[in-house]
Amino acid sequence: MTSAGFIDRNRVCLGSLLAVLVLGVGIGLGLGFWYGYSLSGMADIVQDIITVGFLERSVEAATPIALAAIGGLYAEKSGVFNIGLEGFMIFGAANTAAVLFLLGGRSPTQGELWLAIVAAVAISFFYTIVFAVLVIRYKADQIVAGLAVWFVGLGFGPFTAVLLWGNRNSPGLTSIDDVTLPLLSEIPVLGPVLFDTSPLTLLTILLAVVAWVVLYRTRHGYWIQAAGENPEALDTAGVSVNRVRYAAVIFSGLMAGLGGAVLLAHAGSFTGTGDTMVNGRGWIAIVSYLFGNYNPLGAAGAALLFGGLDMLQIQFQTAGIELPNKLVNLFPYAAVIVVLTLWGSTRMPSSVGESYESEE
Amino acid sequence: MSGEDDRGRARSAVDRAADRMLDASVLERLAIAVASTTLALVIGLVLVAVTGYDPLLFLSNVIEGAFGDNNAVARTLRFTTMFVLTGVAVAIAFRAGVFNIGVQGQFVVGGLTTVMTILWLAPFLPQGAVGGVALIVLGTAAAAVAGGLYGALPGVLKAYGDANEIITTIMLNFIAVGVVGYLVEGPFRGEGNRAPNTERIPEYVEFPRIVFDSSGFSIVGLAIALAVVAVVTLVMARTRFGYDMITSGHQQDAATFAGVDARKTIVTTMTFSGAVAGIAGAVFAIMIQGYYSDPSGVATYGFDAIAVSLLAANNPLGVVPAGLLFGGLDSAGTHIGIYSDVPVQLIDGIIGLVVLFVAAPELFRMAAKRTGLGGESR
Repeated sequence: MTSAGFIDRNRVCLGSLLAVLVLGVGIGLGLGFWYGYSLSGMADIVQDIITVGFLERSVEAATPIALAAIGGLYAEKSGVFNIGLEGFMIFGAANTAAVLFLLGGRSPTQGELWLAIVAAVAISFFYTIVFAVLVIRYKADQIVAGLAVWFVGLGFGPFTAVLLWGNRNSPGLTSIDDVTLPLLSEIPVLGPVLFDTSPLTLLTILLAVVAWVVLYRTRHGYWIQAAGENPEALDTAGVSVNRVRYAAVIFSGLMAGLGGAVLLAHAGSFTGTGDTMVNGRGWIAIVSYLFGNYNPLGAAGAALLFGGLDMLQIQFQTAGIELPNKLVNLFPYAAVIVVLTLWGSTRMPSSVGESYESEE
Repeated sequence: MSGEDDRGRARSAVDRAADRMLDASVLERLAIAVASTTLALVIGLVLVAVTGYDPLLFLSNVIEGAFGDNNAVARTLRFTTMFVLTGVAVAIAFRAGVFNIGVQGQFVVGGLTTVMTILWLAPFLPQGAVGGVALIVLGTAAAAVAGGLYGALPGVLKAYGDANEIITTIMLNFIAVGVVGYLVEGPFRGEGNRAPNTERIPEYVEFPRIVFDSSGFSIVGLAIALAVVAVVTLVMARTRFGYDMITSGHQQDAATFAGVDARKTIVTTMTFSGAVAGIAGAVFAIMIQGYYSDPSGVATYGFDAIAVSLLAANNPLGVVPAGLLFGGLDSAGTHIGIYSDVPVQLIDGIIGLVVLFVAAPELFRMAAKRTGLGGESR
């Protein structure tokens, strides 16, 4: 990829992000005037809404989405649409809670929480292998198989909870402690948001950067892109297309599993009622990477947008804006539809969804 | 115009999926459905054993819960009615190559519309049987319109905005459940209701209790479901509209060549699918609930319907036996929830596994070849 092409693509991405922001601000201003606020009155409200605490919460809410999104874009870049992210996230969250409870009962330690996260990701590895074999070797329909993963997760996630706790929800376990980096955390705004926060948030930022470097700056990254864009060429070059795809799909399952684990580690307990605690985040992750144009950093940025929308409810309450919770909670979903419609024409890798058979 | 040439062209994954399903012969599809269900059930039983319960007892509970006595049969048929209706809604869209995952949302919107329409219109119509039938017809028609419109929205977004319908319909499911939940909690809550429910629809607005004297099931409901299946089958097989839908699902290039407006077909398909989902919502509201409550607590027929439709290879007629199977499974789930310690969620997991295996027919083809059982010409 030429650097000019890269800049060009990012310009389009930034342009649409700007469009969404302008749209949001426009709607906000319109509503403000409608309810008879003056401009300075609205500025006060905005100040009440966008606080350092809000940024901190938004970043934390964005991490599970960003992790799953980065995984999902690797799979799709390699030519496999892993629509099962939501299901893998449910498994990640449920298994973390289960291992955590089995290790430490009702009052587990931080060490046990880290162990549970690692264990849940390791378990995701096995689930994803089954999924990858069905999709790649047995050419299962990627969309239907992905949906199936969601259904299986919606069934077996709460099933695990009922087995362990006799209830679809777990009791309070433990959530991860913030780490405070000395000095760095003193920086205004950036300090509390990035350096006095969950270590899992820092891990996510690190993974996003590494994922970007690997995808765009290493041989493995080029293989992944080639497997999705031009599998024949990759095959001709002597690299096994299916092996690259296995690696990418398994990576996507691990990342979604980690996303679910992080969601649990931030929440501190498992919720299995309704659509479980994952509640559409896996689907939002897919939209995040589409919006981020399959760029790991772009996907993480888009996840931040959805994380912020998810946390608006608390801000509205503190700013004294009376809107029913049930409706404010729907903002991220509505935003997904808007983003997808404005940004729907993303160019997918050309061979997504097609199984590849080597001509040997 | 040669179909073989069109075949070679690049096509989206969705088209290929539908194509592959159509390619399979009826017998093979049946074999795949049976094998998928059996494999999923076996895995379920193994899990039951692994988690320390008695798998044989579980199996006998499943059978007893599905067909054990008159009560169980009525319950099974009640679920079957819902699965057939929602399953046909899914099949319409999938057959046309449009992945409408939003049947649940369209079902919920339709159901609330029915209840509110009946509550608003009841004072203007005579009480008793005649008024009851009129209200049922009007309520169901309103649900079909509301469900159709709610289905048309993602159709328009896909056709003219290129927005992936899988994701938009899933988001619209969340939005439907959230908004309806808000409405029944606040503006539409029945006066003096402690629970977040609408008022009950009048007593005389109900299906007659013939054959089965069960509170949540009437044979009329099942008859409506079967009538919808018949209408949908006829529309798909015998009308220009149905022909356009199916060709654009399987042979988009050929359809465009033949003058089918692909975008318009997407929108009409989604509207048709949503309207049937709305009718399912109406039957649910009138036959089963009698009022509307927060849909996040209501059974997710619209999701399981996807499994029903896939198991039936998206054939509206095949939805009937597939719906009966899922009706039996869900009915068994209810029974197990009461008479057994095994968590009911297992049934949901098994349904998910059925879908997973249905997605991979190649798995069974290879297995059949290896064991020398089938392996026909493929």
